[in-house]
Amino acid sequence: MNEATNNSIVIENMNKWYDDFQVLKDINLTIKQGERIVICGPSGSGKSTLIRCLNHLEIYQEGKITVNDVHVFNGMKNPEAIRVEVGMVFQSFNLFPHLTVLDNCILPQLRVLGLDKVKARETAMTFLERVKIPDQADKYPAQLSGGQQQRVAIARALCMKPQIMLFDEPTSALDPEMVNEVLDTMLELAESGMTMVCVTHEMGFAAKAADRVIFMDAGQIIEDSTPTEFFENPKHERAKEFLGQIL
Amino acid sequence: MFDFRFYEIWRSEEFVQVLFEGAFNSFWLTTVGGIFGFILGTGLALLQDKSVFVGLRLLARSYVEIIRNTPFVVQMFFVAFGLPILLDMQWSFFASALLAIMLNFSAYFSEIIRSGIDSTPKGQIEAAYSLGFKKYDLVKDIILPQALEKVYPSLVSQFVFLFLTTGLISEIGIEDITWAGRFISDRNFRDFEVYLVLSAIYMSMSWMFILILNGCRRKLFPWRAEK
Repeated sequence: MNEATNNSIVIENMNKWYDDFQVLKDINLTIKQGERIVICGPSGSGKSTLIRCLNHLEIYQEGKITVNDVHVFNGMKNPEAIRVEVGMVFQSFNLFPHLTVLDNCILPQLRVLGLDKVKARETAMTFLERVKIPDQADKYPAQLSGGQQQRVAIARALCMKPQIMLFDEPTSALDPEMVNEVLDTMLELAESGMTMVCVTHEMGFAAKAADRVIFMDAGQIIEDSTPTEFFENPKHERAKEFLGQIL
Repeated sequence: MFDFRFYEIWRSEEFVQVLFEGAFNSFWLTTVGGIFGFILGTGLALLQDKSVFVGLRLLARSYVEIIRNTPFVVQMFFVAFGLPILLDMQWSFFASALLAIMLNFSAYFSEIIRSGIDSTPKGQIEAAYSLGFKKYDLVKDIILPQALEKVYPSLVSQFVFLFLTTGLISEIGIEDITWAGRFISDRNFRDFEVYLVLSAIYMSMSWMFILILNGCRRKLFPWRAEK
């Protein structure tokens, strides 16, 4: 395998502005296939914005992002090609409220992958079983707890058979008791060898599952190290302060 | 003391028949016009909000503005007497009434549907895009069903309100409820009783529409009932 295909995500000298305000400053980051990355940092540091650039939900002005060897850029013709390979889980679940749990998992397969209903249903049930809620398949999202909804959102993303999964603070909107069921699902996913990029403040998850922890502040990556190194010996003052507050 | 003489209406078989026919005509013209008006209104809302062609957006917007800022009776006369001259074609007054109702309803419906489309949470759109949806599927499968569910009560009340304005089609000779009232009162001179009965008919028909449409709500939007 050559180096080009071994890297899932390559970000080079990337800069992004909202009008005059620079949200991301000179970002350089390479993520290998199968790597699990946790991005943390204070709010407003640009973590979410960064991962939203990876599947073209946000545009950036300078630099270059390559995802699975495809150049992601402002004005690209079919961002769908990237998006099917990159699953995303949001803080607020964003399940489609008018569809049952099962249909939430089926519809994208029909519309985007062009599968037939029988095949899509099979895949949907497989992943609903994997996140341990097959019994809720015929319910509507509003009838589920937050933790269950987030697990469905993970299953829905997995149904598209993505190569990379992005998590944007997946447990921040959950009641404390429900955080673990979602983290367990994510841990299982991590063990299966999926490339994962998680924006999260769950340091327990970072310690257990992450290969690298990225710490961001004010739009910059200021630490990029292994979890052990990051927790035991953070290099930057800002990272120490951050860890002191959340641990 | 005023002497109520409702029997001046009931005793004539012709009067009763005219009332029934009038109610029937009002009912089906409003229903059919309403259905087509809803379809056209949905199209207009989507054109205004989601079309990539500025020209189409502008056209839809202008149409809605014109209809909502001119009286129904003028629109109807335009359709019944103006358009046939312009196009050098003839069509029945029934067709004119139906067309006028449809065009009029569609503009009001489109404004309501548009408000529903505009209120789609950003997260829904991002979720669909992140799964790889194209804009067409996003609008059809995600935005529109949720928008219609949200504005359904407003659509129902707008529909009932517009139904009550359809009495104006009697002006071009359509034998609707209002026409029946005038027909009867011209012959028995019991205007008070006649228009009281007319009001009762309009009111019960409004309630009927509301009952039917509210009954459909659960069937149309099952996820709402399950909340």
